[in-house]
Amino acid sequence: MSIVILRIAAALYAGAAAAYIVYFARPRHARAATAGFWLLAAAFAVHAVAIGVGCSEFGGAEFFGLRGGLVLMVWLASGAYLLLQRFYHLPTLGAFITPFTLAVLLPALFGDPAHPEMMPANLRLPTLTLHIITAVLGVALFGIAFASAGMYLLQEREVKGKRFGALFLRLPSLDALDRMVQRLVRAGFVVYTVALVAGTLTATAIWKSAWSWDPQQIVSFVVWVLYGAMVQLRHNGWHGRRYALLTLAGFVLVLGSMVSLKAVPGITRHAGDYGMSAPAGGAQ
Amino acid sequence: MSGWDLFLVGLSHKSAPIEVRERVALSGDALKDALQQLKRTDGVREAFVVSTCNRVEVYVQAEGEEPARRFFTSRAAEAGEHLYAKAGVEAVRHLFRVSASLDSMVLGEQQILGQVKEAYGLASAAQAAGTYVSRLCNRAFATAKRIRTETEIGRGLTSMSQVAVELVQKIFGDLEGRAILLAGAGKMGCLSAKALAALGADRILVTNRSSERGLALAHQVKGTFREWEELPHLLVEADVVIVSTGAPTYVLTRESIAAAMKARRHRSLCLIDLAVPRNVDPAAGELPDVYAYDVDDMERVVDSTHEARRGEALRAEAIVEAEVMAFAKERETRAALPVLAQLRRRAESIARAEAERTLSHVGAKLDEKGRRSVEAMAQAIVNKLLHGPTVRLKEAASSGDGALAGVTAELFGIESEPPAAAKGAERRDGGRPADSPGVASNE
Repeated sequence: MSIVILRIAAALYAGAAAAYIVYFARPRHARAATAGFWLLAAAFAVHAVAIGVGCSEFGGAEFFGLRGGLVLMVWLASGAYLLLQRFYHLPTLGAFITPFTLAVLLPALFGDPAHPEMMPANLRLPTLTLHIITAVLGVALFGIAFASAGMYLLQEREVKGKRFGALFLRLPSLDALDRMVQRLVRAGFVVYTVALVAGTLTATAIWKSAWSWDPQQIVSFVVWVLYGAMVQLRHNGWHGRRYALLTLAGFVLVLGSMVSLKAVPGITRHAGDYGMSAPAGGAQ
Repeated sequence: MSGWDLFLVGLSHKSAPIEVRERVALSGDALKDALQQLKRTDGVREAFVVSTCNRVEVYVQAEGEEPARRFFTSRAAEAGEHLYAKAGVEAVRHLFRVSASLDSMVLGEQQILGQVKEAYGLASAAQAAGTYVSRLCNRAFATAKRIRTETEIGRGLTSMSQVAVELVQKIFGDLEGRAILLAGAGKMGCLSAKALAALGADRILVTNRSSERGLALAHQVKGTFREWEELPHLLVEADVVIVSTGAPTYVLTRESIAAAMKARRHRSLCLIDLAVPRNVDPAAGELPDVYAYDVDDMERVVDSTHEARRGEALRAEAIVEAEVMAFAKERETRAALPVLAQLRRRAESIARAEAERTLSHVGAKLDEKGRRSVEAMAQAIVNKLLHGPTVRLKEAASSGDGALAGVTAELFGIESEPPAAAKGAERRDGGRPADSPGVASNE
């Protein structure tokens, strides 16, 4: 059932992406940007229903897997973008975010969701729910920062290279993009910190140990240190091109670790049987 | 009736030198007086004058162009040899092209439409413009607006200062909380600084080798003067630096910029070099977070705009042509309308009178529905009878044949009826009785 609703949401996401791309190609059609915003809002709402139905079907277990995690990330990233658009009005960013989220969502639309088992009762902790949501939201914010940093580098190439063409005219100013990257990195870092704290509490409760050298724990810690360093570097005056490159590198690490950890079965207790059958310790 | 009575006489940057243009240009009250004088001239029904620094054009609805020509020759005798004159459709086309900025010095510039609108407003206020000029102007405005939305003739940057503003906007967004430094007293630099100040810069700093000129310049751009020796510090303070000195060498070297960037903690710096020979070492642009542009870079943008606009102008001309044709056709149709209206008015008043007469005989035997049927029948006969003539008259008029309207008027004896009497008759008849049966039965 939830997969059908998810497909409806995906169609709306596709509509939003198309509208934002039309706006990017023809900035004079301001209505396309408005249409994109409302289509995305509709997609977000329908997607929320899909997630709700999914939770009642599988008890939330599906969001443990990579597939469910990505679905959740698309939803949170879209919500975050809607909020950003409301306050900072950067419709061109939509043309970069929406196709990306749609691409992330696509694999989840096909095939069987491999009905996960219901959640074991002892895993139903509020800290675990908080951990999952904040971890995914943090990654979503890093993702939007990644897109903004990409736009910054594109625009920097135009401005510096004296190419005053279509991209130059359509992309926002360097300053606006730079500040957007900064805001997103900072917000993402705060949210990600909450995720690590909630994860630690959960691990202590379930696996009886806060730290157990689980690869996911190690990677998450590295990501947290990296983004923390970025927040600090900003205070030290880092900005612009160097900062944008760092933001790109950070997200490549996040995405790469997510995919590679799921690709090797059994390497981390963050997948499959939730580490319940593991001999000792678990992850965040 | 189908002949045009619109004439245009004028001169512009294409036909007359500035010395002549400034002698005939008028504005404000002087223009109002001139308009009223034109209007009082024998044979002039309506008049309208466009007067800008690039053109002075007099449009008159009159028997001939003579009154318009006199407008110029009475002001400057030598203007006569620079004048161009157009009549009828040609004059309409010219006004449409002027309003759409197809005849401007800078193709596609925005101001001219506002100036024509202002000219029309003045002519209305002076009561020199009537319904004809009003129709003409509104069509011209609509055409200009259509061209602006359907083509890209208004797009792009047409001057160095506009390019500077666009560049700075793409780097900094706005300039709130930032400072502009103007180094050197070149004219382009001064213009650009003024244009950039509109982006909301906090401060404008001015420096110059000669402090006397620098102080005058600072006064001109509403900035603060600093000594030339302070330049290294100023590079740390300012975010946008406009350089236009007469120095034959680089005033800002790569090394001096690199040092400034370090002191700025790499906050972005935009260098706009408007001097020839260049004052900023082009190698400075390779430093991170430094954005350097010279005159060539900026002229390239302006040139590409002009090229693009020339292409768009072809599409704009096609729109002008379509609108001129539509205006001409509408005008022809309109010429047939008075005859049609009078014909219909006469037929309807006969039908109403006959219906009332019939009802006064047999009305008592009929109920409300019956009475209304009689009235409807009379109206239907009028409609059916007049349908064919109406269509053919409109067709003939729009294909440029005004003769049929004349024949119709003569055949029905319409033209003998003075317009005032027709209006009176209309008022006497009141609303159509079919709409208000109560009134009809009271009579």
